Amino acid sequence: MLRTTLIILAIFVALFVGFVIYDLKTAKRRRETYRTKSSITAYLMLLPAVILAFLFILLPILYSLGYAFTDYYLLKPNDINFIWFDNFKNFFEELKTKGTLYNAIKNTLTFVVGVVPLQIGLGLLLSLFVNRPGIGSKIFKVCFFAPVVISLSVTSFLWLQILAAGENGLLNSLLGVFGFPPHDWLRDPKTAMPCIIVLSAWQGCGYQMLIFLSGLSNIRKELYEAASLDGANIWRKFWLVTWPGLRSTFVYIIITVFIGACRILTQPMLMTGYQDHTVTLSYYMYQQGYTFRWVGQSSAVALIMTIFIGGITLIQRRIFREKK
Amino acid sequence: MDKKAIQQLPNFRPNKTPVKKTVKEVVYHVVGIVLSLIFLFPIIYMLATSTKSESSYAAGLGSLSMFLPDFANVGTMFENYKSVLVNYDIWKYALNSFLYAAIVIVLNVIVNGLAGYVMAKLRFPGKRLLSFMIIFLIVVPVETSIIPLYSIVKIMLGLKQQMTVIGVILPATISIFNIFLFTQFFEGIPKEYEEAARIDGSNTLGVFAKVIMPLSKPIIATVAVFCFIGVWNDYLWPSMILPSADDGSWPLLPIQTALMDIQKQEGITTGEIMSSLIITSIPIFVIYVAAQKYIVQGFGTAGLKM
Amino acid sequence: MKKLLTSILSIMLAVLVAFGMTACGGGDDSTDADGNTIVKIMFHVNKTSTEGQAYLKRINAFNAAYKDEKIKAQGIFKARTAGASGYETELLNNQIEGTLADIITFDAPNTAAYAKSGLLYEISSLIPTSEQEKFFSLNKYDGKLFGLPIQESSAGFFYNKKMFAQVGINVSGYTAENPWTFEQFKNVCAQLKNAGKTAVDMRIDATKDETAPYLLYPFIYAAGGSFTDSTGYTATGYYNSASTERGFQFIKDLITEGYTSYEIGATDFFTGKVGMYLSSGWTIPDLDNKYKDFFANRDDWGLLPYPKDVAAASATGSWSYAITNNHHSNKEPIVKLLNWMTSAESSKAITDATGMIPARRDVQNDYAPGSPEYTLLKQLELSGRERPVTVAYPTFSTTFNQVITGLHSYSVATLLSTATNTLQLEMNRLQNLA
Repeated sequence: MLRTTLIILAIFVALFVGFVIYDLKTAKRRRETYRTKSSITAYLMLLPAVILAFLFILLPILYSLGYAFTDYYLLKPNDINFIWFDNFKNFFEELKTKGTLYNAIKNTLTFVVGVVPLQIGLGLLLSLFVNRPGIGSKIFKVCFFAPVVISLSVTSFLWLQILAAGENGLLNSLLGVFGFPPHDWLRDPKTAMPCIIVLSAWQGCGYQMLIFLSGLSNIRKELYEAASLDGANIWRKFWLVTWPGLRSTFVYIIITVFIGACRILTQPMLMTGYQDHTVTLSYYMYQQGYTFRWVGQSSAVALIMTIFIGGITLIQRRIFREKK
Repeated sequence: MDKKAIQQLPNFRPNKTPVKKTVKEVVYHVVGIVLSLIFLFPIIYMLATSTKSESSYAAGLGSLSMFLPDFANVGTMFENYKSVLVNYDIWKYALNSFLYAAIVIVLNVIVNGLAGYVMAKLRFPGKRLLSFMIIFLIVVPVETSIIPLYSIVKIMLGLKQQMTVIGVILPATISIFNIFLFTQFFEGIPKEYEEAARIDGSNTLGVFAKVIMPLSKPIIATVAVFCFIGVWNDYLWPSMILPSADDGSWPLLPIQTALMDIQKQEGITTGEIMSSLIITSIPIFVIYVAAQKYIVQGFGTAGLKM
Repeated sequence: MKKLLTSILSIMLAVLVAFGMTACGGGDDSTDADGNTIVKIMFHVNKTSTEGQAYLKRINAFNAAYKDEKIKAQGIFKARTAGASGYETELLNNQIEGTLADIITFDAPNTAAYAKSGLLYEISSLIPTSEQEKFFSLNKYDGKLFGLPIQESSAGFFYNKKMFAQVGINVSGYTAENPWTFEQFKNVCAQLKNAGKTAVDMRIDATKDETAPYLLYPFIYAAGGSFTDSTGYTATGYYNSASTERGFQFIKDLITEGYTSYEIGATDFFTGKVGMYLSSGWTIPDLDNKYKDFFANRDDWGLLPYPKDVAAASATGSWSYAITNNHHSNKEPIVKLLNWMTSAESSKAITDATGMIPARRDVQNDYAPGSPEYTLLKQLELSGRERPVTVAYPTFSTTFNQVITGLHSYSVATLLSTATNTLQLEMNRLQNLA
């Protein structure tokens, strides 16, 4: 392990040195000037972060992505061989059978498409709701944030009680008052994913509320006053002042919520277990790696996911930048 | 009555009359309370359950009474809290968590603050590679990297027994996302502050410590709160690498890992589990409420441009 | 600010150094300074738990007994955690480091995978046959012995005696020696249902972990079905055979006929809402202690065996001991510790602490005939069948759970064909890994 690590370190250093030389060479063309003393100070100040990030973030990620090209089986840690693209071949072959993996991708996409607008929308509404003076709104702010800090196992257990099948489920007994028949929310393939979307949005939107609030706090009050003088109603004020003011916050939120949504794992795990109608790509990855012990296969999925998420994120950044 | 007719009524003055304003206030607060209940129900449930014996808890499951405390036995309402505090030494683990969190917060702010400052304010060759790495590391999924991380800490760094505490603390001191936050925040601090300090003869580190950090209370508070929540709620990683409580010496486990163990003790009731969860949630809430203003400011000033 | 920072930093350094000072510097040699041979044994529980304390007592007794032979046992306690298996990760990393304990504990269904990957040391010739025969079950793979159970578990149907009396059901004839049949089981369910009760909690909602596979697999054996061949590499023709289908169909019938459902709450039996509850022996202490309002004492509840069809079958399997394939070539002292820990005396001491069933036939017990513990023990003796021995066990367990959940909306044949394909594919992959 030490040897491999040193090789990675050497590659990393070489890459960095290469970039430094490239930057120095093209400095003139980019009308950039570097001062030696200031650069050395910069490197020294970066050193602790770089060492720690290399050891505890980059290295584990590179290892786990590197495993994607090996036959690493969890129980054979001393016998790891490179099999290059076999794991990826397996991935696409399994995809063709339209089995669990196919469902995992389908469910993950459903989740992303559902939860991103819902969670961001809820976060925005809540932030607009509490963005006013007074003790009431301050208390509400704390309440809305509560699910973010409560452990997922507690909230999932509660949602299980709410969505329980039969007449005893809380939601079912509530709907029963209005004459709806009881429904098995989490076992019905049609309703399971929507339920997980709603509870995830509920769980997370407090955090987005907070970030929207900070965006709102940056909008100058005079803009609203000017709009009021022009006779703008509450909707026009939102479109003319609030929305443009929240633009960069919004871009940030859409990117982070998207990345988080792609990685959804805990909720289906705690709510339904490993079932075809709720399994997600992260869950599939987890199950392959830990339960079925195919670390190599699992890493291949991680690598494919990384490329996918990274690609979409780059596209998102480009789209939102160009409009500026 | 059509719209015009309403407008001709003598006391129609939109948004101005005190009565209308009071109605609006009442509606606002009622809606707020209903919404709060929707977000608070896990806590209400936890509080209610923490007062119950196992049978009365089980009897209430699946009905609304699971959200109500056990009023029938007011006298024994706090039995669960007492038994948790007396039998399971929760305070020791809580103290551990506080200590770990304190160390992590200080190191995290220094390490990532320095890096954020460099990325925001200094020019040096190779910067573009590092900027790219920051975005890359925010994007890649980390779920599978826990296996190699374990090997790095246990085998490569050779941390064993009590030394594994370092393995709990050090990985938590680096956070790419916090570097990103610091960078964004520092970019918003005008150059003039630094230049003034430079004229006074401060070097770069001096500027960082004397000028930048004091101006950055909101972002430091934000990072500190999220560090605290992270360390306080983490259980999987510590449970993997720390030795479990042995031989009566001071245990090393943080609070959540210990809670997981406690929840698996034979004979523990749901009420006791919930009381322990309530007790361990209190610090998070206190810190969040206290720092909330700074968090909004911190994110706000950072601007968060991706 | 600067002063504050330096003082905080120095405190932190002091703390870290203090931790460093107390850290163990000892090597991993198999002998200590006094010339004792050290035998390390690793457990999956906390030292402070009752089970951990029981192990510790037996280790101390061993050290006292073998003082003259200069063998010293040393216990390592690593609780298994939720989520990613911390215990297994620890095992594997110890294997890489070369610090693997001489004896480890492991969950019985892992026998095949651990044995095949070379983690475990074969003990067929080290444990005499006469000794092996004293165990209810053995951890065998490919005909070779790799582990000895610490204790045993079995399951059955807990039932609400008050409710049964009220409905007028007599089940006194159904004992472990003479179990009821699938038909009789359904009749009891029908009587309960006709009286307006929920008949039985089959735990078909417990499909997120090993609970449902562990509790329900005996039904398939009872119907004459099976899951894999004896090598553990073929599922096709076994998992999707007609008899296996019949076993699952029985469970599905219980759902369609309204005797059980996915909707039964986890505590409904304990609060008197359900007639029967399929569970393992660990429910006994819960019923004894936790639900006094509904079950005051053992006159209020009883335990019925698994029903039989073409055969009788009941659940078995718990955690076991195994000797590892580590670098210590002298296995003699290690076998001595293994024999000590699996002796009748240790077996009794440990099961007394855990409330589980002893793994050996020759352990004295004072269970009254008809008591729940007696039923479990007798059932184990007469009809205990272990879960399928296959390297692909995790996939088996996952597909089993998927079938049980799928009974909600699909036919048994469809579910079994998908499950068999998945499992067979995994088996092929594992066979190629070799």
